[in-house]
Amino acid sequence: MNRLNRAAAAASRAAASLLPAGRRDWVAAVWAEAHEVPPGLARLAWRAGGAWVIAREALMPRRLGRAALFAAAAGAAAWAAWPQPTVGHAAVSQFHVIATLLLLVGLPLLARRFFGPPSPSRAGRSLRVFCCAAILALMPALAIVEAFANLTPAQPAYRYAFCIAQGWSNVQGCTGVLGRSTGGPDWAGEIPLLLMTIAYLGVILFLTSRRSRVTRGTLAIGTGTGLLFGMVMYVVAPLGLSSNATDPWLPGSTADPLVALAWILLFGGPAAAAVLAARRARGPGGATLPRNVRIGQGIAAGVLANGTAALFVSALGFGTTALMLRSAWLLHWLNHGQHLTAIAAYRYEIGAGTDTNVYLFMLIWFPVIGLLMSALGAA
Amino acid sequence: MRSSPGFSAQTLSVLAALCDEPSQWQHGYALAKQTGLKSGTLYPILIRLADRGLVEACWQDEPEPGRPRRHLYRLTAAGLASATQALASAARPAATKAARTPVVRGAVARVAP
Repeated sequence: MNRLNRAAAAASRAAASLLPAGRRDWVAAVWAEAHEVPPGLARLAWRAGGAWVIAREALMPRRLGRAALFAAAAGAAAWAAWPQPTVGHAAVSQFHVIATLLLLVGLPLLARRFFGPPSPSRAGRSLRVFCCAAILALMPALAIVEAFANLTPAQPAYRYAFCIAQGWSNVQGCTGVLGRSTGGPDWAGEIPLLLMTIAYLGVILFLTSRRSRVTRGTLAIGTGTGLLFGMVMYVVAPLGLSSNATDPWLPGSTADPLVALAWILLFGGPAAAAVLAARRARGPGGATLPRNVRIGQGIAAGVLANGTAALFVSALGFGTTALMLRSAWLLHWLNHGQHLTAIAAYRYEIGAGTDTNVYLFMLIWFPVIGLLMSALGAA
Repeated sequence: MRSSPGFSAQTLSVLAALCDEPSQWQHGYALAKQTGLKSGTLYPILIRLADRGLVEACWQDEPEPGRPRRHLYRLTAAGLASATQALASAARPAATKAARTPVVRGAVARVAP
């Protein structure tokens, strides 16, 4: 019975770590009190009650629900991103899937240790969920697009289109194993991609942690500006940037105000967000903050604005392209009213597949532009 | 199963136990013995009461040798007022059936003469 009691105590102490900080004292209280209960069944029953307190107070349903949702989403994303036998760069792709999942699980735990618990604001939590969802969505979309864009077609007519899309002037120089996806991501390309994932996750985890002292208003302003910019960018470039502006959503449009708006938001959005966040930032009780703190709030808002936009448009753009490659209906819907021959459809698909590189460019440079423009705006 | 505005029969019994000596700090096990509640019922009640500012909790300053420090509880001023009012309304003849359960009857008998 003693052994059972000790095992129950150890298990419950471990489970108590699931509790919010303010509730752990209560579990410790039940445990301390167990020493007053007569040994044997009565003490075991007391401890079982303690386990029940943990189950209730840990908000188990909510926490477990969130963990289960994440596990299901991560499992589905990993399953969709896992390379097919025809993929020649399978080892790199498998590493990418595993490393991304490890980062999504491990970085929040590290962030909790070094930056403290997440900010209690709804904007902060939503931003974390959005970042995690976007990275998860990018994983299979990137894998599908890369596998297709590097798949050497067996038919000669398709091979010509493939080689042109790959940047060759003819099929002679364009060598690849027919029917296999070769020349995809390599280790040298994988490392920067993972570093970028770490940077995005790390910055968002830091900005949404309590220790960063970024205010709710700053998070809301940065995220709101970013989502607006991201939506405009997605409408402008749903399948990379090579298509005409707003095509295929608004075919036939030549003079495009959305393109102008995208340029304005790219440079003006973070600057405006920085000015607004710096002006609105207040300390506890509405106290005025020192200038350098307000500048910090402004820069955080600007980086968030362009970082959020880049994540948003990349996840949606890669996602749309991957869906189009997998679903014929989307391809025909995007080209409604046109008679697409098989080769024309392939050209369209391979063009879109290679054009998605622009999203990686956005993921790298948008936050940098955001940082520069917000520093100017906040100063 | 509400027996008094905002309080269940079990909560009323905890309030009544704490009302016995409102100025004294009490232990969880003593409260459990007084009310007949299991730890899995008692502590969630204490947590809710503390969240509502009706109960205050602290850790024992000097633990007994060889024993861990114990958590202590007592009613706040607001808690005492709420408890007295809730127990008085539970003692009325028009109180709900739940308020006439043995646990609450005992609690009411202790508090309302």
